[in-house]
Amino acid sequence: MRKPIHITAPWSTPEEVKKRYPVSKASEKAIQLLVEEFKAQLSRQNESASTSIEPEKRRKRASAA
Amino acid sequence: MPPLPDPKGVFLNIPYDQEFFSLYVAYVVGLCQLDLVPHLASEIPGGDRRLTRIFKLIQGCRYSIHDLSRVEVSVAPTAVPRFNMPLELGMTITWQKLHPSRHDWFVWESEPYRIQRSASDLNGTDPYIHDGTVEGVLREVRNAFSRNSAPTVPQMFDVYRFVNSNFDAILSRNGTRNPFDRSVFMELCRLSNDLAGPFRQSKPANKP
Repeated sequence: MRKPIHITAPWSTPEEVKKRYPVSKASEKAIQLLVEEFKAQLSRQNESASTSIEPEKRRKRASAA
Repeated sequence: MPPLPDPKGVFLNIPYDQEFFSLYVAYVVGLCQLDLVPHLASEIPGGDRRLTRIFKLIQGCRYSIHDLSRVEVSVAPTAVPRFNMPLELGMTITWQKLHPSRHDWFVWESEPYRIQRSASDLNGTDPYIHDGTVEGVLREVRNAFSRNSAPTVPQMFDVYRFVNSNFDAILSRNGTRNPFDRSVFMELCRLSNDLAGPFRQSKPANKP
């Protein structure tokens, strides 16, 4: 079994990432919006996942009692 | 002697064609999610001949990925085998043999055991098999590289889907239809890196 290469270099800061990947102002703005949209999408997914789990939890609790 | 390589740099030796597009995006998304820095031959402008530019890139990267899954003869009327990827792998192996502490290279394939037929001199090299799928590329990126607080493969796949669904907008913002164009590549890397933020678990602060 191969061992993966373990990366020990610290995570880049947002400033380092900006410098490393220069983009136009229009792209800069679009990326900000996309990141916000992605975060919102994730939070909606998490919410719906937790609400769909709730009835199951309630059923288990009821049967345990 | 060239300066020390970027410890996060990964030279991507892949085919630049439309059929490879989704795997190209998967490689970039996967590597950026781990805060590695992918490099393509197309990103360096300049007057040097292409081979010189590629060699400089290899020297500047601590790692390289050589995808040999598309070495077959194409079905186009002027069908020829694709020699670029094996050629660049050969250059890399030579560089690594001369300077073992400066570079590590990986061979990637879509099918197990095929490399034993296509490049039998590589016998003894354990290729990463991605099955020709996006999921396979992301899985193998995580098999090749590990780091603390890194996103999981399903999380990486979420980012891939999001990036892929916005790719046409990236192309049009950069005024091109070429996904390998330098400006598109930069935006793709930047977006993939920024989207990893929510998944990177921050380490607990050290207690005084």
